[in-house]
Amino acid sequence: MTSAGALVSVRNVSKRFGATDALTEVSVEFHAGVVHGLVGENGAGKSTLAGIVLGVHAPDSGEVCLDGSPLRLDSPADGAAAGLVGVAQELSLLPAMSVVDNVVLGTEEHVGPFVKRRADRARVKALIAEHGLNVPIDARVGSLSVADQQKVEILRALGRRSRLVVLDEPTARLASHEALELRRTVRELAARGVAVVYVSHFLDEVLSVSDTVTVMRDGHVVRTSPASAENHESLVEGMTGRRIGDAFPAKPPAPAPGAPVVLQVDGLSSTRSDTRVIEFFDVSFSIRAGEIVGLVGLVGAGRSEVAHAVYGASRAGAGSVHVNGDRLSGSITNALAAGVSLIPESRRQQGLVAQRSVRDNTTLPHLRHFRGRLGIRTRQEERAAAVACDRVGVRRPSLTSRVATLSGGNQQKVLFARAVMGQPSLLVADEPTRGVDVGSKRSIYETVNDMAEAGCAVLMVSSELEEVIGTCHRVLVMRQGRIVAEFTGDEIVEADLLAAAFGQTSRSAADTDGPV
Amino acid sequence: MNSRALPAVRHYGIAVVTAVLFVLLAATTDGFLSQANFRNILDQQSALLIAASFATITMIAGGFDISAASVFVVAPLFALQVENATGNAALAAAVGVVVGLVVGIANGLVVTALKVNSFIATLATSFMVFGVGFLVSDRSVLRAATDAYPAIARTRWLGITTGAWIAAGVVAAAWLLLSRTRFGRHVYASGGNAEAARLAGVPVARVKTICFALSGAAAGLAGVVSSSRSLSALPSDDFSFVFGVIAAVVVGGTSIAGGEGAVWRTIAGAFFIALMINGFNLHQVDPIWQRVIQGAVILGAVSIDAWTQRREH
Repeated sequence: MTSAGALVSVRNVSKRFGATDALTEVSVEFHAGVVHGLVGENGAGKSTLAGIVLGVHAPDSGEVCLDGSPLRLDSPADGAAAGLVGVAQELSLLPAMSVVDNVVLGTEEHVGPFVKRRADRARVKALIAEHGLNVPIDARVGSLSVADQQKVEILRALGRRSRLVVLDEPTARLASHEALELRRTVRELAARGVAVVYVSHFLDEVLSVSDTVTVMRDGHVVRTSPASAENHESLVEGMTGRRIGDAFPAKPPAPAPGAPVVLQVDGLSSTRSDTRVIEFFDVSFSIRAGEIVGLVGLVGAGRSEVAHAVYGASRAGAGSVHVNGDRLSGSITNALAAGVSLIPESRRQQGLVAQRSVRDNTTLPHLRHFRGRLGIRTRQEERAAAVACDRVGVRRPSLTSRVATLSGGNQQKVLFARAVMGQPSLLVADEPTRGVDVGSKRSIYETVNDMAEAGCAVLMVSSELEEVIGTCHRVLVMRQGRIVAEFTGDEIVEADLLAAAFGQTSRSAADTDGPV
Repeated sequence: MNSRALPAVRHYGIAVVTAVLFVLLAATTDGFLSQANFRNILDQQSALLIAASFATITMIAGGFDISAASVFVVAPLFALQVENATGNAALAAAVGVVVGLVVGIANGLVVTALKVNSFIATLATSFMVFGVGFLVSDRSVLRAATDAYPAIARTRWLGITTGAWIAAGVVAAAWLLLSRTRFGRHVYASGGNAEAARLAGVPVARVKTICFALSGAAAGLAGVVSSSRSLSALPSDDFSFVFGVIAAVVVGGTSIAGGEGAVWRTIAGAFFIALMINGFNLHQVDPIWQRVIQGAVILGAVSIDAWTQRREH
């Protein structure tokens, strides 16, 4: 779609936060009916730019124009009033309320103090019909999948006659088939004449959904070009300013057949206590010292559940887990003592204590090693934390900075520093690079490789097939709670992994769409 | 505000404000800068400091213990019954502490095992404990029968009452426990992000239960010290003690949401409030107006805290 004037144009905008230049002389135009991808490493200024368009931040210099005339936004409410809305990474929905209530929240039809529920429902139904965003309108939002919740958020934006919608990492928390669905929703939005700003770390996703892509680096716009003129490599090059020959370091050599077995899982089964749904069934596999094994499958196939059961974070109903020949009792304490480390799936919810320092987060499971007569020997602790953080390349202002002040990639590295410090014999890494920028990803893979080379067995759960293919010696594919296939070395190719994950019936694969 | 000054102000704000208040009172108020006045303040604050230092730890662990008031009222009733019956003041004091400990453990188990919200759980146990207080005292005032019981908190040592010394010891213990030990780190982690703490191997439920147990015991000791000072105890269902405790903790800057705070903050908060009241009294401000102003100051402190935290992100 072409339109003469831009809907929103950002002109020579600069913004400083303290000592850092978040944006420098940035100019970019967003057009109605166009999906505009925004890519860059963490800290490149994408979110700041989005924030300026939405009224979250005020520019230090430069201006933002709507329909060609300068616009002054003092708050996100001003932005929303002008039809500029954001759908944040973290959803701002009320989980205990229904879809209708959430969509109309703040704009309820009413007679005096009384809400007109029927009119609200009709309005939401009309919205859903108009945009083809199917969600059960009476469902409690908390009971919906993340993809459906995102639709609710988008419906809310649409219900306010939004002209520009910013989606910030909309698929970071979605499974791939849900992400694909969201992409359709986004195209749909653009077809209705909405300007969409699409911020994401997933470059292929940006390329497939966007009409136009702006690449940012260090607060500058590197270039804006049609998506058709870009590819994965050109974007990475633009974002990092250097050519990355390969996103993945060379794999460490596969362990010799005689290498000792570190992890032995036999007949592990589990049923959810609340719903009685089988999470996984009769799962058996082993990992040798120095071996990196991937565990893939669609969301709901039971990957993370197996990882948690191995770590003792949830109890398996049947079966056994042996580490270095010792049977684990199924408690976290026991697993830690046996030399198992976990990188949890969500660093914010399961990994880090945001208010605490880098040091505290790194040493949390290892404090017993620093026990002195008068409590913790902090100097020794600090030295050990520094060593671990340096080893995995955590860039930090200081060890006593709050971990929340670090970038996403560095926060993730803190979790790896924590794992490295324990010198584990088994590392269970659940989505080790989720929400992490390209540069940090590579350094995380290097850490994993280092650990493997030192003899650590690695179980890597991942939704990114590319990552599994690029790093693992062996891959196990799960479907509906069972391990259905195993690939080794050169056998690890995307098509086969997908076929195994979806099962033989290729029609159902087409229905559910997309990988993992 | 200056980006580098802000964290420091936010960090030490309450200490700075308390020091300013101190200087202000010293400059303007006759009778403030006297040994007798300070001794009085210390002695009066002893019970509150004992309970508040451990209440701080519980709050950082993500718990909210409202039952401190009931333990404060009822523990000395048990203690005095024992004292009246046996004449043994040490045993009586120990019984008072154990009563608090038992209530605390019960609170901890209800909160962690039954997963009841801690405010509601401790509110409920408060009513039960208050009720037991009426039963154990037969609804009458209990008085110390020996000289040993009043001596627990009223003895002078190096010019300061033993009540104040006990408070100093308890505060130091809580401070060390929280800032220097593995348990302290586990407290911060459990309150900051319970799931992350659990996955890092922190026994979150045990940590929280211990926090409630310790704050219960501390409230019991606070009750014993207070009754020793006043030579008697009476049954009531008066929640006011715990509000003083929470005010000190919160004015100090410990987060009600858990995961953040420190014992020194609570000490500063307690002394800020104490100095303020002391100043009012020396200036003969009407006690009714004192309440209004005190409430406004607490509101102001908490608002500033919320504002700076919002700024920080």
